[in-house]
Amino acid sequence: MKVWGMLLGGFPRSRRLRHVLRDVERGTAPYYVAEAEVDRFASQVIGAQLAAGFPVVVDGMADWHDIFRPFVDAWRNVTVDGLLRYFDNNFFYRIPVFTDEPDARSFVLSRRVYRFRDAADPAGVKVVMPGPVTFAYMSKNLSGLSTEELAERIAFLLREEARKALDAGASLIQVDEPFLADIDATPDHARLAVDLVNSIVDGFGDRAVLSLYYGVPEPGVYEVLLDVKARYLMLDVADAPARASSLLKDKGAGGHVLALGVVDARRIIDDDESRIIELVKGVAGGSEELVLTTSTWMDLIPYRYALRKTIILGRIVESVASSLGADVWSIWG
Amino acid sequence: MAYSVPRKFPTTVVGSYPKIPPAMDLIKKRRAGEISEEEFRKLIKEPIREAVRDQIEAGIDIISDGEQSREDMVVYFAERVEGYRPGDWVRIFDNVYFRKPVIVGDLKWVRQMIVEDWVYATSISQGRPVKGIITGPYTMMEWSFDLRYGRREELIIELARIIRREVEELVKAGARYIQVDEPALSTRPWREEAELLKDALEVIFKGLGDVKRIVHICYGRLEKIIPYILEYPVDQFDLELKNSNFRLLPYLKEYGYDKELGFGVVDVHTLQVETVEEIKGYIDKLMKMDFIPPEKVYVDPDCGLKRLPREVAKAKMKNLAEAARIAREEW
Ligand SMILES: [Zn+2]
Repeated sequence: MKVWGMLLGGFPRSRRLRHVLRDVERGTAPYYVAEAEVDRFASQVIGAQLAAGFPVVVDGMADWHDIFRPFVDAWRNVTVDGLLRYFDNNFFYRIPVFTDEPDARSFVLSRRVYRFRDAADPAGVKVVMPGPVTFAYMSKNLSGLSTEELAERIAFLLREEARKALDAGASLIQVDEPFLADIDATPDHARLAVDLVNSIVDGFGDRAVLSLYYGVPEPGVYEVLLDVKARYLMLDVADAPARASSLLKDKGAGGHVLALGVVDARRIIDDDESRIIELVKGVAGGSEELVLTTSTWMDLIPYRYALRKTIILGRIVESVASSLGADVWSIWG
Repeated sequence: MAYSVPRKFPTTVVGSYPKIPPAMDLIKKRRAGEISEEEFRKLIKEPIREAVRDQIEAGIDIISDGEQSREDMVVYFAERVEGYRPGDWVRIFDNVYFRKPVIVGDLKWVRQMIVEDWVYATSISQGRPVKGIITGPYTMMEWSFDLRYGRREELIIELARIIRREVEELVKAGARYIQVDEPALSTRPWREEAELLKDALEVIFKGLGDVKRIVHICYGRLEKIIPYILEYPVDQFDLELKNSNFRLLPYLKEYGYDKELGFGVVDVHTLQVETVEEIKGYIDKLMKMDFIPPEKVYVDPDCGLKRLPREVAKAKMKNLAEAARIAREEW
C-alpha cells in the first residue's frame, strides 16, 4: 500500500501579496509588480509543499478572487455581478452572469503550468478547475440556454483547459464540485456531473480527481458519483467525520482511489493526529493506494496557519503510513 | 410611563439600525484607544437616542437600541470577552479582508457588554419594551477561530455560559424580551448542527423566569432542520420570510408550528419600500394558512436594518406598523 499527500487547492494571500494586489487595483502600482509578487508567493507555497513531502503541488492560486473568476475573465459572454455567500463560509463570491453561450478567449490553467512547473520540480503540478455543475448552478444564467445546456458548454471549455494543461505538463487535473456535497444536491445533479466530468477527463481519467467538499454528499448522490471516470475521488472528511465515515463504510469507494480531506482547512487549531489515524484505518485500511489531503482549499484561514497545516498534513501522511504499514510515496512518476 | 403592546400583531424589529453619526467614528476611536470604553458608552447615547426616536415615530411597539455600538455582531463581543484576541486577516470577498477573532484562552465573562445601551434605550422608550439582543453561541463559534477548545461541543457550551451571564444581567436590569441572533445556523442546515445549538440554548434560557425567549435565524435552507429547531427551549422564532417569498410557511404549518412567530415582512436587502397594502397582503396570507393566531404573530422586518439608508429603514418600519394596525381590525 502507498500513501501520499497533497494540498487540495488555493492558499491564502500573504500580507505582502494583499497589499500589492490592492495597490495595483488602485492604480498606484503597475500590474507587473503584482505578477512578480504572485510568482514569488507561488514559489514559497510550492516550497512548503515540497518540504512536506508531497509528490504533486499546487501554485496556491493566490491571484484568484474566487474559483470562478479566472475563467469568467478568460471567457466571452460571461461577466460578474454582485456577491453571494459561498456555501456555508463567511466568504462571498461574485456571481458569474452568462449572457450568451460562453467561448474561450484565452486559457487559464496551461499558462500556470508553464509558469510554475520549474519551481515545482521534482514534484508534479496539479491544476484545479471548478466543476461544470457547480459553475452552472452557482451562476446567473441569462444565456438563453437551459442550466444543463450551459453546464455542457462549460464542460466543453473545461475539457479544452484540461487538455492544454496536460500538454503543458500538468500531472493531475482536479475538478471541484462542492455543489454535489451540498444538502440540496440531487441524484439528477450527480448524474449530470458524472456525464460532464467524464467528458472532461475522457482519455486521462487516471490523472483526474473529482473533489467534493464543504460537506459530505447525501448517500443517493454519492452512489451516482461513484460512476465518475476519475481515478481519484476526494471527500471532505474533517467537516463531518461521523457522516463521512459511515458513508464510506456503507457505500465504499466504487473502485476509486480515495483522497480523504482529513486536515481541516477551515479551522486553525492543530488537527488531532490520533483521531485521524483511527478514522483512516476504519475507512481505507485495506486499499492499495490512499491520498490524504486538506478538507478544502485553505484560502479562508490566515496565511501562517495555512503554512502550518501544510506541514501538519505532511506529518500525518507519515504517521498514517506507519500505522498502516504502508509506504509513503513522495516522488511523482 | 405605561405602554400597552397590542395583543394582536405587535410590531417589533430584529435589532440593528443604520449607524447614525457619530456612531462609526466612536467605534473606530474606541478601537484605536483614542477614547475609553466609558467615554464610548457615554457618547454612543446620542446615536441610540436617534435610533429609538425613529422606531417610536414609525410606530414600532417593541424596539431595540439600534445596535449603534456594534460594528460587527461577533467582533463586538469578542472585543469584550476574556479569552479572545484580535483576529487574523481572512478574506471576505475579492481582495477585501477582515480580522476574524481568535479564541486563545479560557473564555470568561468579565463585564457587562450590552446592558448599559439597553438601559439607556429603555429610559427614553416612552414605556415601550426594548429587546435585549445578543449574538448567539453558534454564530460566535462559527465566525471565530478557535485555538483553545478544539471540540465544538465544548466550545459552544462555554460561549453559551458567557451569553447566559450577560442575559442574566439584562434580566436583572428589567429586560423581558431576550433575543439570540443566529445568522450562521441556516448556512449549515444539518441535524447535528441544529442539535449543537439546542444544548447551548438550554444553557442560555433555562429557568430565566418571566421572559420572552426569542431566537432570530436568518434566511437559509431552514426547512431541512425545522423538526429539530422546533425542539428549542424558546417562545418565539423570528424569521426572515419576505426575502424568500414566504416559502418556509408551508413547512411550518406541516410540522405543527405552535410557537410565536417573528414574521419578517420587509426585505432588508432592497431599497424598495414595501407598501402598506403589500405588507397587509403578507399578513393576510399567513392568517389564511390558518395555523397560527394573530396573538402569536410579531410583525417585523426580515433581519437587521443596518445596511439600508436611514430614511428607507424608517419608511419600511412605518409601513409595516401601519399594515399591522389595519390587520388588527380585521383578524
Ligand atoms: Zn437576520
